[in-house]
Amino acid sequence: MATDIASVGATHGWRKVGRYSLLTFIAVVVLFPIYAVLLQALKSGPDSLDHPRSLLPVDLTFSTIRAAWDQGDLGRLLLNSLFVAVVVTTGVIITSLLAAYAFAFLEFPFKGPIFVFFLATMLVPGEVTVVFNQRTADSLGWINSYQGLIVPSLASTFGVFLVRQVFLQLPHELREAASLDGVGHMRFLWEVAAPLSRPTLGALGLFTFLGTWNAYLWPSQVIRGDRAHETIQIGLDRLKSSDISRLNLVTGGLVVAALPIFILLVVFQRQLVRGLTAGAVKG
Amino acid sequence: MKRRLRDAPAALLMLGTSLVLLGVWTIYPLVRAIQTGHLSCNQTGTRCIDTGWSTYFDVFMSEQFQDALKVSFWLAVMTVPAGLILGVGLAVLADKHLRGIGFFRTVFSSTVATSVAVASLVWFVLLQPEIGVLSDLFSNWIPALKNPGLLRDPGTALPAVALSSIWASLGFTFIVITAGLQSVPKELYESAYVDGAGSFRRFTNVTLPMLSPSILFISVVLTTRALQTYGEVALLTGGGPEPEKSTTTIPYLIYGRNSIISQDIGLKSAAAVLLFLISLVFALVQFRGFEKRVHYGN
Amino acid sequence: MRARSNRVAFLVAAVSLVAACSGGGDITDSGDAVTTPSAPPQQSVAPGETAAAVTTTTVSPDTLPDCPTNALATATGTTEITFWHSMSAALGEEVVKLTDAYNASQDKVKVNLVQGSYEETADNYYLASQGDRPDLVQLPEYQMQAMVDSASTVPVGRCIEASGYDTSAFLPTALAAYATQGVQWSIPFNISNPVLFYNKKAFAAAGLDPNVPPKSLDEVRAFSKQLVDSGASKYGLALESGFDSGGGWYVEQWFCKAQEFYTDGDNGRTSRATEVLFNAPTGVEVLTYLQQLLQDGLAVDVGDNTQTGFDNLLKLADDKEPAAMTMATSASLGQVLAVLAGGQFPQIGPDDVGVGPMPGPDGLPGALIGGASLWPVDTGDDVRTAATWDFITYLVAAQQQSQWAAATGYIPVRTDALELDPYKSTLATDPRFGVAYAQLLSSPDAATSAGPVMGPLREVRSVLATAIAAIFDGADVTATLNAAAEQSNGLITDYNIRNS
Repeated sequence: MATDIASVGATHGWRKVGRYSLLTFIAVVVLFPIYAVLLQALKSGPDSLDHPRSLLPVDLTFSTIRAAWDQGDLGRLLLNSLFVAVVVTTGVIITSLLAAYAFAFLEFPFKGPIFVFFLATMLVPGEVTVVFNQRTADSLGWINSYQGLIVPSLASTFGVFLVRQVFLQLPHELREAASLDGVGHMRFLWEVAAPLSRPTLGALGLFTFLGTWNAYLWPSQVIRGDRAHETIQIGLDRLKSSDISRLNLVTGGLVVAALPIFILLVVFQRQLVRGLTAGAVKG
Repeated sequence: MKRRLRDAPAALLMLGTSLVLLGVWTIYPLVRAIQTGHLSCNQTGTRCIDTGWSTYFDVFMSEQFQDALKVSFWLAVMTVPAGLILGVGLAVLADKHLRGIGFFRTVFSSTVATSVAVASLVWFVLLQPEIGVLSDLFSNWIPALKNPGLLRDPGTALPAVALSSIWASLGFTFIVITAGLQSVPKELYESAYVDGAGSFRRFTNVTLPMLSPSILFISVVLTTRALQTYGEVALLTGGGPEPEKSTTTIPYLIYGRNSIISQDIGLKSAAAVLLFLISLVFALVQFRGFEKRVHYGN
Repeated sequence: MRARSNRVAFLVAAVSLVAACSGGGDITDSGDAVTTPSAPPQQSVAPGETAAAVTTTTVSPDTLPDCPTNALATATGTTEITFWHSMSAALGEEVVKLTDAYNASQDKVKVNLVQGSYEETADNYYLASQGDRPDLVQLPEYQMQAMVDSASTVPVGRCIEASGYDTSAFLPTALAAYATQGVQWSIPFNISNPVLFYNKKAFAAAGLDPNVPPKSLDEVRAFSKQLVDSGASKYGLALESGFDSGGGWYVEQWFCKAQEFYTDGDNGRTSRATEVLFNAPTGVEVLTYLQQLLQDGLAVDVGDNTQTGFDNLLKLADDKEPAAMTMATSASLGQVLAVLAGGQFPQIGPDDVGVGPMPGPDGLPGALIGGASLWPVDTGDDVRTAATWDFITYLVAAQQQSQWAAATGYIPVRTDALELDPYKSTLATDPRFGVAYAQLLSSPDAATSAGPVMGPLREVRSVLATAIAAIFDGADVTATLNAAAEQSNGLITDYNIRNS
């Protein structure tokens, strides 16, 4: 072969230009909604309703975002979302570690059926469970409370499978050597197995954080009109209906709601990819 | 044998929390929903009449449920193939060692950071007939953008919801497919090249089969999301322009603002359980249907 | 494997095919028991008498809870109560203001607020168990029967009796709206009815007197024609079919104006409603008239008003294809003026808005009590019930009603509020705030002036809204209304079975 086999599929010259153009075009299309909303959030009130609207980043101000922040009490909403997401993430990691350890390293009666039970719960969608979960939360007095937002999400079958997968790939000798040294289950878990699974745990944590931050259906059922406990996602809806003519307030709220996550994504991109693909590539 | 029983207390301790949580918050409500599905109750749920298991059949066959099923089905048809094609296309496009490709990859992944609320509201703002940016730019080609607005026209409302959904899922799809691409062994491409296969043939004979697990995964996830669409509808159209109710999906039929069964927990449960079963069927069909063509392992 | 996947695919296809082909019934008719209805026996009760034990009504006056209004006097410390209200945006802020002032003015009772929409508050209330319900809840007028059937509240009438509260200044129709079978269930708090908002500038440009709004449907047509023909406005009237407004509530108002009943049983007040009557000639006539306006280009349909809740009002401020008139609840007057004063819409300012009574068939006057009322909940705790009653008396006191009405556009529930500032000066300087009130007072003294009461009124409004949307699209009025009536009657039957 005349061409280098290692350069199979590499692009040269015009094809490179073509590829870059296509990439740029699509990137513009994908980013456009975000850009348009961001722009609208950075322009002041009455101007946003003028049209045709300038798409240029001129005459920018933070006043709309500040107004949205005040009117929607976005600071508290962000704190609530953050608190709930952090607690749920920590809880999911812990419960997943424990349950995965049991499945990976322990032998116990009914292990098979219990595993199937876990599998089954993964298939049950939120829409079915919401109605009666709301009643359960109500009878526990957990409506409009942090417990109501946090507790139902503390166990994650996805997390259990993910961590179990990693644990199963740890060399057997490690466990055998440890038990010969008299290391108990918990010590092994916290001092050996968990640290070795850190990348996957990081991915799980990020994935869980993202999911909890973005959750809409359950929070909307458990938090009713109690602004003190609302998360940012349901708070955004309130902004929409609060002032009909100042639609740009919504854009201000959107920027505040989405920005932390965008930053998170950019910083932790690799872990996120690992978390999302763990289920897919293995099949 | 001894080891099995010896481990049992430890197992109980470690599995206990998860088991209890899942039992209380996933299995229990499911069972109760199935039980309640054959009841018809007053608004406080204190008085229920047993209407029999035929309730499930009646709810399924009822006009409102069938309409919602059609809406959910069309939403899936609009979002799943498009999502797959875009995801695979973009992933393949960006799967090259070009300078700055990382930036493009980040851009294409970015929508994974949007929640249902954020994505829907972004499109709500964009699609406003009078003050939305899209109507300024494109109303010459698509008059419905301005009058009465894509979200209020019964013909375009559902496609508009689908558009916002496709955009929102793009990042997720891109990330999964990209990871799938990166696990394709280079040697396969090289041997195909040696065999004289052009880039298109390499794509169909190497890339697609190797991507099949990821494609199946995305397909199932996107279908499930389409069937479970609630927040997008609540925020964008409130159930769709009346009287067609063009965007009333099954979840919106159950939990939406104008829900006609909002005060009967029996019918709500029946409809929710039916939704669960339908999702299950769709997932199973996809798994079985693609099983032959999904290429696992090496 | 192949055979199995084929079988599954076939099954799915078969089910879908069957599903697509068959007609299917109404989702609320699902199941066996509900399809064999038994009509509840009719029984009329003269006002003032307590009803004898009726087989279908869930609450007999003998079992009504007491209202120990003097329990607060002997209580020590601060009693905390929860109030679930449904006022949002500017209205909600006013509720907060009133509540803060109450909390600050004394230290025996502290009120905590929880806000939702009308639907959310109702849903959450019903789903909650009695122990998790608030002490006081504000629910819209269409929830009346459902609330009575929930048997979870303390009738306000008991509190009025126990404390000897003087209700003589209250609007009699307002109190009567929330009483059935001799029991005063709840007390009105915010009263509204639909009024006509119109653009005075457009009127003047069309050669119409900007201070004379149309009163009858014929006048609406004539004015619209003049507005459109003169080019002053693209459309005359903006219509919408939201279930809480143009799609449901307004129809009840038109029946009141025409002095006709909306349901049987004297609008469900002397005996339980079993069927709707909105497909009577009056209903057909009005909707045909509106449909004709749309088809002649004199009116425009802005949809079901779910996008912003104010789509029709925004149509007045539209700078490309505006309408010059629309019907909306009087409760939005305050907010409309505030928004316009903000300068968002340069072509129409707060002084350009005119308000007139809601036009109806033949210009007949009248309006129903709309809005919401306050329901004390039977928590079983005497002190909290007394505290709740204390808060109620504050909210419906003349001064607070004056403040509330001036800030919102709601009508005060009592006539002595009109003599107090700020409402007194608001009325004097801005007579637009008095239109809804005058319209209410002009209601004929007839049983039809008390609005319909029925369990599934909210769902029936939803059904009617869909029908009206179809009618605005051009569907046959009589057939559509009849179909909607049939569906509504089915809903009522189902409700009565489940609640008896």
